[in-house]
Amino acid sequence: MRPLIAMGLVAMAAVVSACGTAGPAEPGAGGVKVWALQDPVLNPIEQKSIDFFKSGGGNASLETFGNDPYKQKLRVAIGSPNAPDVFFNWGGGNLKEYVDAGKIADLTPVLDQNSALKNAFLPSVLDGAKIDGKYYGIPMRGMQPVLLFFNKEVFAAAGAQPPKTWDDLLALVDTFKAKGVQPIALAGSQAWTELMWIEYILDRIGGPEVFRNIRDGKGQGWKDPAVLESLNKLKELIDRGGFGTNFASVGYDVGGASTILAQGKAAMHLMGSWEYVNQLGQSPDFVKKGSLGWVAFPSIPGGKGDPGNVVGNASNYYSVTSGSSQVEAAKKFVSTALHEDSYVQALIDAGDVPAVVGVEEKLAKAANSEYTTWIYGQVKGAKSFQLSWDQDLPAEKATAMLTQLQEFFLGKVSPQQFVDAVAAR
Amino acid sequence: MKSRPNWPAGLFALLWLVIVVGPLYYVVTASLRTRQDYLGSHPLEFPASPTLGNYVTVVEGGFGQYLVNNIIVTVATVAIVLLVGVPCAYAVVRGTGRFVQRGFTLLLMGLAIPAQATIIPVYLLITRMHLYDSLTAIILPTAAFALPVATLVLTNSLRDVPAELYEAQAIDGAGPFRVLVSLVLPLAKPAIMTVVVYTALNAWNGFLFPLVLTQSESSRVLTLGLWNFQGQFGTNVPALMAAVLLSVLPIFAVYLFARRFLLSGLTAGFGK
Amino acid sequence: MRTQRPSGWYAVPAYGFFALFAVLPMVLVVYLSFTSWQGLGTPVPNGTANWSRLIADGEAHAAVGRTVLLMVVSWLFQTPIALLIGVWAAGPQRSRAVLSSIFFLPLLLSTAAIALLWQALLDPNFGIAAGGTQFLGDPDIAIYTVVFVISWQYIPFHTLMYQGAARAIPASLYEAATIDGASRLGKFLHITLPQLRYTLVTSSVLMLVGSLTTFDTVLILTGGGPGTATRILPLHMYITGFSGFEMGYASTIAVVLVVLGTALSVAVMRWSGFRAMSSQQEGS
Repeated sequence: MRPLIAMGLVAMAAVVSACGTAGPAEPGAGGVKVWALQDPVLNPIEQKSIDFFKSGGGNASLETFGNDPYKQKLRVAIGSPNAPDVFFNWGGGNLKEYVDAGKIADLTPVLDQNSALKNAFLPSVLDGAKIDGKYYGIPMRGMQPVLLFFNKEVFAAAGAQPPKTWDDLLALVDTFKAKGVQPIALAGSQAWTELMWIEYILDRIGGPEVFRNIRDGKGQGWKDPAVLESLNKLKELIDRGGFGTNFASVGYDVGGASTILAQGKAAMHLMGSWEYVNQLGQSPDFVKKGSLGWVAFPSIPGGKGDPGNVVGNASNYYSVTSGSSQVEAAKKFVSTALHEDSYVQALIDAGDVPAVVGVEEKLAKAANSEYTTWIYGQVKGAKSFQLSWDQDLPAEKATAMLTQLQEFFLGKVSPQQFVDAVAAR
Repeated sequence: MKSRPNWPAGLFALLWLVIVVGPLYYVVTASLRTRQDYLGSHPLEFPASPTLGNYVTVVEGGFGQYLVNNIIVTVATVAIVLLVGVPCAYAVVRGTGRFVQRGFTLLLMGLAIPAQATIIPVYLLITRMHLYDSLTAIILPTAAFALPVATLVLTNSLRDVPAELYEAQAIDGAGPFRVLVSLVLPLAKPAIMTVVVYTALNAWNGFLFPLVLTQSESSRVLTLGLWNFQGQFGTNVPALMAAVLLSVLPIFAVYLFARRFLLSGLTAGFGK
Repeated sequence: MRTQRPSGWYAVPAYGFFALFAVLPMVLVVYLSFTSWQGLGTPVPNGTANWSRLIADGEAHAAVGRTVLLMVVSWLFQTPIALLIGVWAAGPQRSRAVLSSIFFLPLLLSTAAIALLWQALLDPNFGIAAGGTQFLGDPDIAIYTVVFVISWQYIPFHTLMYQGAARAIPASLYEAATIDGASRLGKFLHITLPQLRYTLVTSSVLMLVGSLTTFDTVLILTGGGPGTATRILPLHMYITGFSGFEMGYASTIAVVLVVLGTALSVAVMRWSGFRAMSSQQEGS
């Protein structure tokens, strides 16, 4: 056994020394370290905000990472000497994990001292990074509510109108099935596309409080009767053939659902607002000839939720790490660079709908104004903007819930079984 | 031995031929279509107006960078494996002392460790060593997991070398290092080729280590690049198939020109 | 005279390297399986909590079940095909040599390339079976589709092994049987099969270990879906660890994977010892 132990010691020593040599960099060397998600459109704009900050005498640098790895990398880095000073995040439960671990600086005092800053953002969006009554993030990009897209040509051919209520939707399912068109496109191999349905239905039936209780572990949580009722509604839609039969292996990232909507093989598609830009890229003719339509998610009569409520990603946020040696500089960065005119204009030019108050005029002048103005109005009028559940729950709960949801859509798990399974986690 | 033709076996082989060639035919023809053409017709149809545009898309999409990364990872992994594996095999065969032999037993037990099972601690180590998201992060564990088979193949070949040859060298006054260079290296050449091919193929096609240990575009290797293209191209399946085809070409070239080495590397340690 | 022997130092780089990236992780994974680690900060020991959770975790049990199913079905599907084609390809005819060089082509593709290729080919809207059988979308079929794709990739490898072994069978055995008037089937059953039995064992063990650790194919092809229909053990570990960030519990699953893998590999070692012994007897 001795060689084994010796080898282990050698290895340990190597690791330890490697850790030692790569300690924290000289404080303040590169200024405020900003981490963000890789995004060919957004990154240059983020760089602009940093340049703006620099022109005001500050110092900062931007580092970007791909989507899934970003979340992994962030988890490992936060709390290590390599932590960024400012980082991009989704707000909600994901951020809450870091807040609970004491890693995030409270930005409430900054906002309280600076009412101009606080009033610059739409309140429902600013609330996306509000945890236990305190603000931990500043919105830094466009709003991405989920809405119901439809193919106008397919609707015209069927003599149909976009749905206003749940019953309209069910009736449309029958109409399109009779025409041999898949009523609703669904990229079911990726569970988050299925999640959008239950998010909206529960919001319409039980109001936004039901999910907030689930998230905060208050009240009945998942056992709230509204959850079961919502699942039953959704099951009705699935069993009626609303999503066709082959959704389980259709992927969103590979464009499956978007393409069948554009081709007229499907009539409707519930998706985040980024779908517009996506369609514009993948099927430009479809968008340019005006065949892509959109409406808010139908209301459910008798439900407690306001039909104006939206779900989706309110925005992304910049948060400041509390252990940073540059906390003050970082706070200064997030409180000056994100609502400033040229930054907001750059977001609009890139097709984003910033969560900033009073940008109607700017939106109207930019491209795709019909769409962006509609989105802006929709969010501005919303009493609640519920963050996507998979972002709002801690990662392990979100993963377990998504698994159950896929089983539910396949009919392998009944509404009651779904409730029991997720409540047990 | 002459015999009458074996019809059932021949038919079966023909059926298998269709199963093997069908998908390959699909990759080639699909890569030559436009996206519109692909979405509008049967996937196995021959393209109405073949185009090489997809290959341009792929090359402009960063394929070159991924290819270069793959080459770096492969070359470095092979270099490390040879650099530490050959002296190790030499020590195992000619050395004395329990340390070397016990270590070898331990190394052979490594044949049984599925790399998947160690991915979480490897991830922990790599992040703690501040190597995350670098090509080095892929190279080190890939080489470590190639070592057991490589050392096994090398020791098997060195064991076939008659002891007299070593002794003759010693009489000439050669030290162990000179023996390694002037005797072991030339004699182990076929085994080294096998190890090179085996290690190179593993590194070239590696997926899990790059998936977990890297993330940015600048350190992306081909396998991950292909997967990433899938998201990037969306329903532009023809472009994805062009990328798949391009990724195969380097190995295909090896297959054409050095088939014997390739096949021996593939079955390293098992094909005997 | 003293022979100059290489000192132990020649082996140190290899051993040290292997210890750092393979042995140490093995030790660590066992340690981590007794900790709670969300990927944030440092792992916190939590006793046997992960292990009791594993015992009660229906999803993990189902994943083990799927893994075993995958192993068995893969073996049942690949072995006969690889054996028959390998023996056929071992024949001296030129046409067979040409065909077998085509048969080996899937070997040149990486797993990622193969998974992407089949995924496109089986796409529910734009693939060859559009509107028909849901090869990837039907929870009852998907795992068999995975088996088929794995087989498409690996049958050439096993064919290669059988071809090599079949070529090594002495022609005199067949000639003697022909003189005795044995049928083709008789020769296959009484000469070829017994002569290939060791190759059969090696190939089988490689297939089983390979199926146990299948990962890339399933991740790309189905992501474990539809639902959890193809979520096999390595993928369950990956999702738990890198989507749910329950690194401690994922390590527990990894330990199970190691135990299963080692058990299989012990079988290999047992068998190779057996081979060494019996081939000496045969050699006499």
